[in-house]
Amino acid sequence: MTLLQVKGLEKKYPDGTVALKGIDFEVNEGEFIVIIGPSGAGKSTLLRSVNRLVDATNGAVIFKDRDVVKAGTRVLRKIRREIGMIFQGFNLIERASVLNNVLHGRLGYMSDFKGMFYLFNQSQKKTAYELLHRVGLGEQIYKRADELSGGQQQRVGIARALAQKPALMLADEPIASLDPVSSNVIMDYLYNICREEGIACLCNLHQVDVAKKYATRIIGIHAGEKVFDGKPEELTEDIINQIYHNKKKELVANE
Amino acid sequence: MSEKQLLQVRKQKRLQVFLFFAAMLALSVWSAISTGFSFSGLFTGTVDSTKFIIFDLFPPDFSYIASLVEPALETIYMSFVAMVIGAIVAAFLAIFASATTAPHPIVQVAVRAFSSLFRNIPVLIWTILLAAAYGLGTLVGTIALIMVSTGALTRAFAEILEEIDMGQVEAVRATGASYGQVLAQGVLPQFLPGFFGWSLYMLEINIRASTIIGMVGGGGLGFVIQTQIKLFQYEQVSMAVLLTLVLVLIMEWITNQIRERII
Ligand SMILES: Nc1ncnc2c1ncn2[C@@H]1O[C@H](COP(=O)(O)OP(=O)(O)OP(=O)(O)O)[C@@H](O)[C@H]1O
Ligand SMILES: [Mg+2]
Repeated sequence: MTLLQVKGLEKKYPDGTVALKGIDFEVNEGEFIVIIGPSGAGKSTLLRSVNRLVDATNGAVIFKDRDVVKAGTRVLRKIRREIGMIFQGFNLIERASVLNNVLHGRLGYMSDFKGMFYLFNQSQKKTAYELLHRVGLGEQIYKRADELSGGQQQRVGIARALAQKPALMLADEPIASLDPVSSNVIMDYLYNICREEGIACLCNLHQVDVAKKYATRIIGIHAGEKVFDGKPEELTEDIINQIYHNKKKELVANE
Repeated sequence: MSEKQLLQVRKQKRLQVFLFFAAMLALSVWSAISTGFSFSGLFTGTVDSTKFIIFDLFPPDFSYIASLVEPALETIYMSFVAMVIGAIVAAFLAIFASATTAPHPIVQVAVRAFSSLFRNIPVLIWTILLAAAYGLGTLVGTIALIMVSTGALTRAFAEILEEIDMGQVEAVRATGASYGQVLAQGVLPQFLPGFFGWSLYMLEINIRASTIIGMVGGGGLGFVIQTQIKLFQYEQVSMAVLLTLVLVLIMEWITNQIRERII
């Protein structure tokens, strides 16, 4: 079943930079899609347009039959709470406890008032404990978020996203600030949990080998355009070159 | 850039540095002349004031302390009330004065101009203006301190808001949190340490400032100092000055303790 449809997505930043030039693709339930492309290709812009941290200039993003681009404040809240997101810089509230950071994942389901005054109920807390145990952080629950190592912080980020009970997970270079060992741990957690829970995932990565290892599908972006969309085994050296160095013209000429 | 262009730029830089120092030198000479500044004047002045301190101000009249208790408390009340009200009003205004949270750039400019007016008119002038309207007393001093505290804190708070890590705020927004929830859970935790730090600092500043505004009719210790100077009661003046100093030091110590605990 189709979970997300991106249609003719364009983004021009106020300073004139055109980051996306009409991107089309669909995400089916449970897919683990990795987006690759050179720096500045528009990967982050694409991901952030999906939950509207960035406002698209043109096109549509349909998540479960609702258009994210056109959604009003209330609908947007409902859409966002079903889309978890993890970030390159973890983006935890540094001064808050690990537990509270995970509880933030429930804000979209709470009344304004309760959410503002930290009135999380017992069952929400229990869920948060369980999630933290699941990502191996049972010992760190009451620590301040900025006391944890990078790899641990990213696991809190994953737990926060899972607390949303999301149907879709967005991961913008989740391992770019981590050492190789932590990177492996994080990718394993992300992949396994998404698969077990049937959560679809859109994940930006720089490392092609990592992309090939986990992805069920790979999308290649170059200069705001989709230049590849297929199975990992279809991603040949030529195509990788095309994505990263725009050898497109030569390829077309050779055909 | 070519070698030649680089040389050109370097030359320009050197010229700029030279012009800067020349201008500084010219300014210093000009201001020294027009203020009648001279090192011998500085010296005789120092001798005179030393004599004054030794013969007239010493020793402080310690028996006078009992009648200083009330003005001292007044000084503390004024400073504290001004800090609390100033901090609350400023926190609200700062939302409109910071580039990250202002609803519209025009609002931002307006609130900034407003707070800069309050902050940049010296507290002394505010007191004199307000005294003309409300008469003498602690009320005038308190209002003057509120104005300046509000102005200074609005700017400080707006700057804190501008330095907030938007990544953290964005992450909360991405969970589907409402505007109020984003402010409470994403912005507030980053804002509070600076809020308390600056407010406590403002309290210290207010205590110091309140002695000066007391002299033009704002009440508190400053008012006593001014009155006793007019009566040539220098030993009592020095007692009041001493008490002011002690008060400021104690306040500084207390605020430092609190700051260490909170932040
Ligand atoms: N807020 C912004 N304002 C203006 N231009 C922007 C902004 N954010 C991104 N851009 C530009 O849009 C283009 C795409 O940026 P984006 O961050 O999406 O690339 P990316 O593929 O994620 O790159 P990286 O791999 O380095 O993270 C770049 O040219 C970038 O400079
Ligand atoms: Mg990016």
